[in-house]
Amino acid sequence: MPRESEPSTNARAFLLQALREGTRLDRRDFDAFRPINLTFGDEYGVADVSLGKTRVLAKISAKVVKSSEDRKFDGIFTISTELSPLASPAFEVGRQDQTEMLLSRILEKTIRRSGALDTESLCIIAGQKCFHIRADIHVLDHDGNLVDASCIALVASLLHFRRPDFEVHGEEVHVFDSREREPVRLSMQHQPFCVSFGYYEGGTIMLLDSTLLEEQCREGEIVVSMNRFGDVCQIAKYGGAPVDGLSMINCTMKALEKVRMLDQLVKRKVEEDEQRRDAGGLMAELSAENDR
Amino acid sequence: MSTPILLPGTPISASLLPRPNKSGTLTLGPGLRHTPPQTITTTTLGTLSTEPRKSALWLEDLAGRYAPSVNDLVIAQIHHSSTDSYSCTLTPHTPFALLGQLSFEGASKKTRPQLKSGDLVYARVCQAGKGEDVEIECLNSATGKGEGMGPLKGGTTFDVSPGFARRLMLGRKKGGVMLLEGVGEKVKFEVAIGRNGVIWVDSGSVRITVGIGRLVQDCDRGGWTLEEQEKAVKKAIKDMS
Repeated sequence: MPRESEPSTNARAFLLQALREGTRLDRRDFDAFRPINLTFGDEYGVADVSLGKTRVLAKISAKVVKSSEDRKFDGIFTISTELSPLASPAFEVGRQDQTEMLLSRILEKTIRRSGALDTESLCIIAGQKCFHIRADIHVLDHDGNLVDASCIALVASLLHFRRPDFEVHGEEVHVFDSREREPVRLSMQHQPFCVSFGYYEGGTIMLLDSTLLEEQCREGEIVVSMNRFGDVCQIAKYGGAPVDGLSMINCTMKALEKVRMLDQLVKRKVEEDEQRRDAGGLMAELSAENDR
Repeated sequence: MSTPILLPGTPISASLLPRPNKSGTLTLGPGLRHTPPQTITTTTLGTLSTEPRKSALWLEDLAGRYAPSVNDLVIAQIHHSSTDSYSCTLTPHTPFALLGQLSFEGASKKTRPQLKSGDLVYARVCQAGKGEDVEIECLNSATGKGEGMGPLKGGTTFDVSPGFARRLMLGRKKGGVMLLEGVGEKVKFEVAIGRNGVIWVDSGSVRITVGIGRLVQDCDRGGWTLEEQEKAVKKAIKDMS
C-alpha cells in the first residue's frame, strides 16, 4: 500500500537548522548540482541520466501515421511520463498522482509548446502521412529533482535520436529501413532545460537540485525553463509560500548560467557518443547528404 | 570475505556445517531454514558464518529490507496514535508496528509521554511473527526499566543497510567497524543505532552531526577495511573541528 514516507520531525528540524547555518546535508553549495552522469544506449534515442541517486531513462521512437486533420503540415510529438513503483514505493501504476501531473505538465510546456522540436520537419505528405515521435520517460530512481533530470534526459535523447529517411515520388512514400539508408537526425530549433529551485524561510534560502528529503521539507518550488540564449519557455510556481519579484528575477539569472552548463554537458556527451560510433570515419561516406 | 555469497534457496552442503555439540544439536540463526530430515536451505542473500564453539551457523545478510525479529533494538517513527497505542513505521512503506501508550518506563495513565506524528523513539521489538502485527516497546518488560529506550529528541537520522547497522552495534572486534569509537575519542556526540537500518546522531553542532552521518553512510556503501576507516576518521575529525 503506497504511503508517502514523511521525514521525522527530527530530520526536518535538523535540515532547516543546517540551512540556516549555510550547509546542506551533502555539503554541496546551495546552487550546485549533484554529479550528472549522462550515457546513451546502443540504439539511437536512448538517454540515461543520473543526478546523484535520481535516475531517469528517456527513449524516443518514431512511427509513420496519418497526420491530424487540423494540423496538416505538422507531425505529431507526444511525451509520456508514467511513474511506477520502480521509482519509489510511493507511486502506483495507473493512478496519476500530483508529482506525475506536474512533471508531465512542465515537460509539455518546456519541450512541446516551446517548439523545441520542429514538427513541420516531421511531415511526409501534407494531410496524409507524417511521423509520430513518441518520447517515453521512465523514472528508475527517485531521490528528488525529477523535473530537471527528465528534461535533460529528454533533450539528450532528442538530440541523439535518428529517424528513418524517406523519399516521396508523387503520391507514394518509401520509408527506408536503417540498413538501406542512414537515418536522419531530428531538427531541433533550440534546446530548453528546466532548473528547479526549492525555497525555505519565506524565499530567503533557495536550493538548486534538491534531494528527496529537501523536497519534502521545503515551502515551495519554482521551475524555470529556458534555453542557452536566455529565452524563457516557462516559469512555474504551483502554490507554496509567496516569493517577491526580485527573487524570481534572481532565479532566472541563476537558471541561465546553469542552463548553459547543462547545454554544454549534453552537447559534449552527444558528440563523444557520435565519435565513438564513427570510429573509422565512415559516417561521411555513408551519409546521403550533399555538401553545398 | 572469502566465503562465497549464497543466493536464497541454496541448500547448504554437509561439509560446511560445524560439528554438532554435546547434545547433538545444531543451532540455526537468522537466514536459514531447516526442512526435515537433513536439508538446510538459505532464505535470504548473504554469506555463511559459523561459530564452532556453539555449533551455530547463520547468514550474515548483505543488504535488503529489514525483517523485524524479537529483541532487536530499532528506531521507529510515530505515524499516528490511537486510543491505546501508537502506530509506528520501522521501515517506510511497510505495515505499521504498534507501540503501546503505556510501554514506557514509569508510565501510567496520567504521566505518559505525549508523542506526535513524526517523532522518533528507540524501542525493542517484543513481538514479530508471520501473521501478527509487529509490536514494539520502550522498556524491558521483564525488568520494567527503560535501558536507554524512549523518545529521541533533536539530532537527525541517517539511513544505512540493516547488515551494516548490525556490524556497528557489535563494535570494533566483532563487527569490524571502528568509526564511532574512532570519532568518539575526539568529538562529543550521542548516537542510537537501530537494527532496521536507521542511525540517530545528535551533537551540539550541525557540522559534526553531518560529518558523522556521512562517514557512516560512505563506509556502508564503500565497504571499507579497518585501515581505510581509520584514515577516513582522521580526515573527518579534521573537517569537523
